[in-house]
Amino acid sequence: MSRVVFSTWRGEFVDNRGKPSDEWEESGFKLPETYDGDTKSKAFIGWDGVAIFNEDIDAVELASKYAAQYQEYSEACGRCAPGRWGGRILYDLLDKIARGEGTHDDVAHLKEVSETMMVTSKCEIGKTVPKPILDLMEHYKEQFDTCIEAQQPSKHYDGDTSYIAKVTAPCTDMCPAHVDIPAYIEGVRDMIFTDSLAATRQTMPLAHTCGRVCPHPCEDACRRMNLDEPISIMELKRIGADYETDHALPWQHPFEVQPPRNDGKKVAIIGAGPAGLTAAYYLGIQGIHVDIFEELPVNGGEVAVGVPEYRMPVEKYNKDIQLVLDLPTVHIHNNHRVDAERLKEIDAEYDATLLAFGTRLSKKVRATNENPNMKGYWGAIAMLDKVNLWTKYGIGSPASNELKDKVVVCVGGGFTSMDVVRCSIREGAKKVIMLYRRDEKTIIRNTTYEEYHEAVEEGVEFIFHSAIEEIFDDGEKITKLKVNRFELVPDPNGGRPQLQKIEGADFEIECDYLIPAVSQAADLQLLPEEWNIELTSWNTILTNGRDFMSSRPGLFAAGDCEYGPMTIVNAVGQARRAASVISRFIYDGKVSLTDEEIMEDHLNKLKVYDKSEKITGWMPGLPRAVSEKLSVDERKDNNKEVNLGFTGEEAIAEAERCMRCYYISMVAV
Amino acid sequence: MGVHNSINTGKPITVTIDGKECKSTFGKTILEIARENDIYIPTMCYLTKVQPIGSCRMCVVNVEGVDGMILSCQEKAVDGAVITTNNNALFKERQNIMRLYDVNHPLECGVCDKSGECDLQNKTMEFNVDSQHFTARDQHRPVENWGYVSYDPALCIMCEKCVRVSTEITGDEALKVKFGGYGSTIINVKKERNYASLGEAAAVCPVGALVQTHFKYTANAWELEKIPSACPHCGGGCQMYYEVKQEKIYRVTNEFEFTNLCGAGRFGYDYANEGVTKDVQAFEAAVEAFKKADSVIFAPQISNEEALILQKLKEKLGFKLVCHEAHAYQKFMEAYAKVSGKHLYGGNLKDLSESQGIIILGTRINNDSPTLKYHINMASKWQQARVAYMHPIEDSEIQHIVTQFIKYEAGSEEGAVALLAHTLLSDTEVPDSIRQVLDDLDIGNLSAESNIGEEEFEALRRSLLKRHGFSLVVGEDLYAHPRAEQIATWVALLERYAGFNVICVPPAGNAMGVSLVCDLDDTVEGKTVGYNAKGDFTLSALGGGDLDMPALNQQEGTLTTVDKRVVPMHVALPYGGYVLNDIANALGLRAAYTIDYTVQLPENTGFKAIVFDDLPEYFDTVGNEHRGYLLEEKKRDTQLNIEEVGELDTFDGAVIYRCNPENQFSPFTAKSPLLSEEAVLTGSQQFAAVTKLKEGEKIRFEVDGVTFTRVFRIDTAMKGTIALNPTFDMGLSASLLSSYRFSRLSFEKSNNDKIGNNDE
Repeated sequence: MSRVVFSTWRGEFVDNRGKPSDEWEESGFKLPETYDGDTKSKAFIGWDGVAIFNEDIDAVELASKYAAQYQEYSEACGRCAPGRWGGRILYDLLDKIARGEGTHDDVAHLKEVSETMMVTSKCEIGKTVPKPILDLMEHYKEQFDTCIEAQQPSKHYDGDTSYIAKVTAPCTDMCPAHVDIPAYIEGVRDMIFTDSLAATRQTMPLAHTCGRVCPHPCEDACRRMNLDEPISIMELKRIGADYETDHALPWQHPFEVQPPRNDGKKVAIIGAGPAGLTAAYYLGIQGIHVDIFEELPVNGGEVAVGVPEYRMPVEKYNKDIQLVLDLPTVHIHNNHRVDAERLKEIDAEYDATLLAFGTRLSKKVRATNENPNMKGYWGAIAMLDKVNLWTKYGIGSPASNELKDKVVVCVGGGFTSMDVVRCSIREGAKKVIMLYRRDEKTIIRNTTYEEYHEAVEEGVEFIFHSAIEEIFDDGEKITKLKVNRFELVPDPNGGRPQLQKIEGADFEIECDYLIPAVSQAADLQLLPEEWNIELTSWNTILTNGRDFMSSRPGLFAAGDCEYGPMTIVNAVGQARRAASVISRFIYDGKVSLTDEEIMEDHLNKLKVYDKSEKITGWMPGLPRAVSEKLSVDERKDNNKEVNLGFTGEEAIAEAERCMRCYYISMVAV
Repeated sequence: MGVHNSINTGKPITVTIDGKECKSTFGKTILEIARENDIYIPTMCYLTKVQPIGSCRMCVVNVEGVDGMILSCQEKAVDGAVITTNNNALFKERQNIMRLYDVNHPLECGVCDKSGECDLQNKTMEFNVDSQHFTARDQHRPVENWGYVSYDPALCIMCEKCVRVSTEITGDEALKVKFGGYGSTIINVKKERNYASLGEAAAVCPVGALVQTHFKYTANAWELEKIPSACPHCGGGCQMYYEVKQEKIYRVTNEFEFTNLCGAGRFGYDYANEGVTKDVQAFEAAVEAFKKADSVIFAPQISNEEALILQKLKEKLGFKLVCHEAHAYQKFMEAYAKVSGKHLYGGNLKDLSESQGIIILGTRINNDSPTLKYHINMASKWQQARVAYMHPIEDSEIQHIVTQFIKYEAGSEEGAVALLAHTLLSDTEVPDSIRQVLDDLDIGNLSAESNIGEEEFEALRRSLLKRHGFSLVVGEDLYAHPRAEQIATWVALLERYAGFNVICVPPAGNAMGVSLVCDLDDTVEGKTVGYNAKGDFTLSALGGGDLDMPALNQQEGTLTTVDKRVVPMHVALPYGGYVLNDIANALGLRAAYTIDYTVQLPENTGFKAIVFDDLPEYFDTVGNEHRGYLLEEKKRDTQLNIEEVGELDTFDGAVIYRCNPENQFSPFTAKSPLLSEEAVLTGSQQFAAVTKLKEGEKIRFEVDGVTFTRVFRIDTAMKGTIALNPTFDMGLSASLLSSYRFSRLSFEKSNNDKIGNNDE
């Protein structure tokens, strides 16, 4: 998969030195052979080995620079004896050898200190830094010996090779917003909750929100899973945010808020949802003028009007929103619908525009006689708007006017459908049925175990392997549904099992409401036709997924309107990157990534988490902490927050399970 | 992935450590279980009283079936684990860690304060590190003087114990780690505050990096004699050692591994009444004065034994015995006992530190009782406790601990506590008579009078939802309140029916001990003898009285602590004069030494008939306290009789609040030169506006017949129209103050122009 001269990456051993080029063996990993554009990499060195792309590599300098980066990047570290002193000794001795002043004793000391670091360091960064250095000392021994014996500098010592490094962690890499998870967990462990929050906010301004309703993909890349169970990463995030709120502290910004630049540059953001807010935050904190245009009278987008109060109390979300809006250069314009004409004006007036309007059109279920205008047919987005606008803001009227004592059928399987059925229960529906094409396991995978389990507890009836064939109405309103049942039939050719309709198993449900929550689409009317904005095959705005600029220069897109209906954390991650690109674009008109971002993408491609890695040095069998929830009776007729969060004791115990899997990687260019 | 309903904490487990079968419970770390079983595992950064730090990595062990080395201080033991604490490989890694610690550590043991009690010295010897094995480029890092403590980064091993103490224990949150690999260092982010509580952080420093500034370069550790004692200042009775050489106290230390000592305890030790000889004439005059006395008034800075001597003299001679603060407390606790059925409050410090919900009422806790504040901070950090602070004055010093500030009008404590009981007892089973009283409360009216919104109580109730482990801390504002006994009744209801861990913080000194030993009277009359209080004849340990007395660091005896423990004090400095026992003997009592009275302390108030010399004073290997003994709880007859809430007497306009600055509690702390707070009247901008006082202006006013002359200072962190008026500098007059802590301010400018009067 990658063409390398030499590699010890993740246990492989490839050594093509001296071999004719047609006999070269390839590395099995997506290593960063080219750094950016046409720039070739000379070497990649990291926690799990080293890969050399250029035969002329200076292995001694590479090792010494890697140790130096550990010094540089151990800012987050230096918190254990072996790492603090050991790291420094590694660098001093390697540099001594590279300068041409080393001895063989130094090599022996290097090995000894490496050994101690590898078995006793506090974080993985200290445990793993020696590994590639030892690999180089072993496999490029002649270069080290030459420096020592001839007392001469290494072959390109102090030459023009650039070394670009980045610290990551498996969880951080997997998180679409690349949150420095070990740092915020360490803040909890240290009981310095403000540090925890500031660590989160480096890349994730919505700490309250993503500490509550994030589907936490990070937990699927938690190395602790290789030992027992993943850390409860998501729930530890809300602790810092709650601390700030509970103690009425001033905003804990991750960086100093820069004074307004007042240089005439300004950025427009369409939509005040997670993506829009995130971009506004990272632009605003740099002092860049931002105007957010929001169609609704309330802020927060789909998390405000879509995610119900019992999962995401608006009082808490408002804190996340206020953090952004309190920045002196961020301005919000509510009740401001942007259509194609207005977007043209904005485009002309602003130096860059970020589209972050989400996906707010409910898709159809595709059944016979499906008429969105029929009474009783209620799109999930509209239904949740109604529920949330009333319960959170007192706008409109209670949805119980419609739903009380009624039979509600929802078609879905994702988070939105869960919100629909659980809200229906809370609005007093007599019976709530969820129809889902696939099985229980899949619905849990698409949402969370807790979400499904809680819905069942609250009385939602799930009918799996089912789909609506036909909708019946009496001319005024929906009366009943005809439902097909399916079964999974294994593919005789060994492929994915197929869903097949079970003949004769159809049944009917009499109902008052059908709420389709199968998916949502972006409302693209605001794109002026003449711009010919390129779209994806699923009708969202096309970007390259790295810089988030659309086919029109200066017009960016992030969040669901770019990706399609996805998670909050995905929107945050995209918007932060877009904000970074925009912050440069408005000055130089160029689309560029920072080294940090380039490395981020390389590592993401390489995959940081290794599910087959064996963990050593930690006690297995320590269970994951589970926070207390309100019981069914305490929650199902109201909007109280269901999840009570960790107690202090649970939080600290959980934080202590974190293995701080920081890794450092570096590319030589 | 399994889903657990609990983390199994407390489940019995058995592990094998170095071949020894050890029974314990799940939740404990390997190191804790090893220590319970007297098995040694070396550590450099472990500090029992805080959460595991995990910076030194010395405590690594092997566990059968688990690859790699396991951090025993942090990793919880699982049932059946077989653990090896020492072998060649472990020794080698520990030795290498010590070699790393020794890299560039300055070779200045000869002058280092820590030498002789330094963990780095000890472990360097233990692991046979006799030369510098590794090298790294040294860095220049200057020493910093932070006031009470000084920091030498070159000596620092970055164990982070001090930061943990500053965060988890004292809560000053002044010390932080500045990350930066080899360049990591400890920083003081609140230097300008010069927290005396940083003495507690210095105490835990395993090397000479963080030291008490005044002690620097004054003595070697091995020359000092450690005299165990208890701190007499705030009523906390914290464990301490006076470290003495040639009749001089050089410093105060403590069993920092397990217990805490605040700045006053650590730096306020230099108050002995020195150079006193036996003045026979004065002594005889004192004996005569007692014979003629109609009243004896005394300050609560007194041992249990001396209090008993005074009580016995009262019984013999029939004078009135007066100690205002102790008496108010005594009456409060008597009323309390009528509801709780027990003569002591039910709470203790350990339960407080483990609470998930804490309510503080009627005390400026950060000033009144540092040890209580520390334990509340522990709960805040360890349990993320909800902390509701109910008081007329906000306190920015505890903002990071408090989650809800509930302000009430000065004087409205009875209404506030009734509303609190109404909130907290709403879902609890209580006798019908009490339910009736609760139902009859005029909530609207009380809410209006006390100025606490009903929604504030609703928020409080909501914040305690589903939590368990509740504490209520009440204090001195309540004891001298005109409705103190009714307030006590309400507080006791919360202990009895809402399951609250209640602590009624005793006033400073040994007021609790006095309240349990003496039969006190309300007011003085006739001829008076004062003991550390102004009388017609004055006995004073402050010097300058009619007869000198020894200060508490010159006496043997016991104190009664807020944790309901009777603890011994020993003589740190000699005293050449007469003591109270001599006077008592001259008046017909018979005891060779004051401590002969220890065994006679009244058993009906919980004291035990234990001879002074038999009182233990140590902490065992896992930190259990064996210091003196715990007071025994005595049953009392109950009388559930709740009065209607009285007409609330609140204060308008400018009000002053009797409150000492942090670290000051009495004329004895005032006398200690290392504690140098200024005695000024401190108020907000708003207070200045109401009184038309300017910063630095001097005024004169009177409280309980005691005249105060005070410079006024504005504190911009304060709000409202209540100013803080200290009493620590008032010498023998301080103990004459007996009224409710808040009073209307009526003052004159010190040049006698009457410019402000609140009654106008």
